[in-house]
Amino acid sequence: MISCSDFIAEIGNYLDGEVATEVRAKLQEHLAHCQTCTILVDSARKTLRIVTDAGSFDLPETTFRPIADRIMARIRETAK
Amino acid sequence: MGSVRDGVAGSITRPLSIVQEHVGFVPNLFRPLTLQPKLLESFVALLDAILFKQNCLSRVQKESILFVLAAARSNAYCFAWHFQTLKLFGVPEQRLEQIAADYEQVELAPQNRALLKFVLKLGLAGNSISRQDIGDALLGGLTEESLLDAILTTALSRLLCMAALGLRPNLDFSARTLPVPLRRSWGTPRECGGPYLNSPRFEPQDLAPFAFLQEFLRLIPNVFRAQTLRMDALLAELALTEAILFADSGLTRKQKQSVGLAIATADRNIYWMALFSELLGEVGESANSTLTECAVKLAKATPEFAMEAIEALDSKGFTQDQIIEWAVVVSFACFLNTVQFGLGATPEFSPPNLSSPVLEKIVHLPAEEPRHSVDGTPVDPDTEIVARVQVGDVDAFEELIHRHSRRVYRTLVGILADPDEARDAMQDTFLKAYQHLSGFQRRSKFSTWLLSIASNTGIERLRRRKEVESLDGSGLETEEGFRPRQIQAWEDDPEQLYSRIEMRSLIENGVMRLPAKYRVVVMLRDIEQLSAEDAAAALGLGIPALKARLLRGRLMLREALAPHFMKGAKGAAH
Repeated sequence: MISCSDFIAEIGNYLDGEVATEVRAKLQEHLAHCQTCTILVDSARKTLRIVTDAGSFDLPETTFRPIADRIMARIRETAK
Repeated sequence: MGSVRDGVAGSITRPLSIVQEHVGFVPNLFRPLTLQPKLLESFVALLDAILFKQNCLSRVQKESILFVLAAARSNAYCFAWHFQTLKLFGVPEQRLEQIAADYEQVELAPQNRALLKFVLKLGLAGNSISRQDIGDALLGGLTEESLLDAILTTALSRLLCMAALGLRPNLDFSARTLPVPLRRSWGTPRECGGPYLNSPRFEPQDLAPFAFLQEFLRLIPNVFRAQTLRMDALLAELALTEAILFADSGLTRKQKQSVGLAIATADRNIYWMALFSELLGEVGESANSTLTECAVKLAKATPEFAMEAIEALDSKGFTQDQIIEWAVVVSFACFLNTVQFGLGATPEFSPPNLSSPVLEKIVHLPAEEPRHSVDGTPVDPDTEIVARVQVGDVDAFEELIHRHSRRVYRTLVGILADPDEARDAMQDTFLKAYQHLSGFQRRSKFSTWLLSIASNTGIERLRRRKEVESLDGSGLETEEGFRPRQIQAWEDDPEQLYSRIEMRSLIENGVMRLPAKYRVVVMLRDIEQLSAEDAAAALGLGIPALKARLLRGRLMLREALAPHFMKGAKGAAH
């Protein structure tokens, strides 16, 4: 059976659904016996979910608009 | 506007009582349709025939199809609805979450596994379905009858998801967090190679709707002939076809058929392109209208595009009734395309010439943006605007700023870890891009080229701060030696623990504390959701290096967030 280090090395591909069937089977066999990696994969999946959903580092229109205006003013100046 | 959400509240009409009986409540999706009783009746008749009536597939199997596809399309309304229904049928919440995240990791009967594999491909990449997929599904334990059920349910799922975007109902239940969609590859588009399933032959004298079609079209379309195994569903579908596409109402027949043609073209459905072109006669001005352009926008299937499309129709003076009807026509056209992809019905007419200016315009607004064109070069949605700027249309550059500012900003925050400086650097990035645009040769997408400028701009600023080594990193990226320290289980629904603002703040703090080389990769892949190829190209990294950094970044972020989300930790973390 694979070790925790082997599992961790593959966890990224596993979360992205990019492991071959036979590798997935080995990872799942490991998970069936390893509480630590089960928690790791569950919490990593939840991390990914909340990070993806939160809409962090957004650029609100009120911030974006003056910057866009400044850029366009400079460009129009250059284009003259 | 916003009035599309409303509708006539009040007495439950007969169609709604059918829905009430089988769903347990009347989903808000049906409310706007109460303004158009005939449409509502036909719509519910189709739902009744495909979903509520007992057929080869059980109701739970059909609801599972609707649920898995709603999750895969990130359709919040349908996801919450079918989640709730399956819960009422006794499926445990945890199992539902696992199925939505990745059904392949859940223990399922072989027949159900084959079923979900087939419907995901049909629902998400219908034009790549071939006889091979049908063969695989049959080998997986499905029968021809159950496959037809699956095809109809998959088409129904597309109809419901699209209607939910176009009619914008309020959620029936509190929002559930959607799983991160898996990236799957589906193979190349196929020619219509069917019919894939056997079907008893019926003639116009045997079936009244066939007689109508014979009189109206002078033929019975193969796509309907291929469904005679499920007569109840076929009759409901024909009634809706007649009501939606062959009758003048708030929108004219021509307008609705033009929308059908636009959706067929956006889906690359040769069968319906040929049939609608034949119906419309000369493909002319009628297809080149706000209605069709907005239809293709809606078919992109994101709430933002749906909102834009509805607002555009509203601003052009379309009435509320017309917009509702338009949304139903788009949804039903999507349904028809999916049914045809699943059955492989062969066209009766030659498809129109794709180089016709009107169709060309539609083709350039694909329903789901393909990543690469036929010859393998990246498809670039910015091509037209970039070309305009290159020939001197300075104002067109503003659209490029609008489209890409958030992405550029996130790249720069990822590198610089300073929002104020990132805003300054964003300005530099766009100015440099404009100065060098004449030399941009389209070897990559414009967005990739722009992000590489952003990345270099950020690195230059780090260099001035003498911090550039923090981005370069050194040695091999490896997980050897990485030991998770936070190994307590997390709460089942971490999203429920904090408000959206608190959640955003926790994540932003966690991301900002990551070392720069991990931070920028997490920012581009997980927050901005670029593909691995695009993120690697923008940062000048190879894919293996990008993946290694992403993994380390995600694991470090998990460690940073764990104290806030582990079971029972909320009190301790505050």
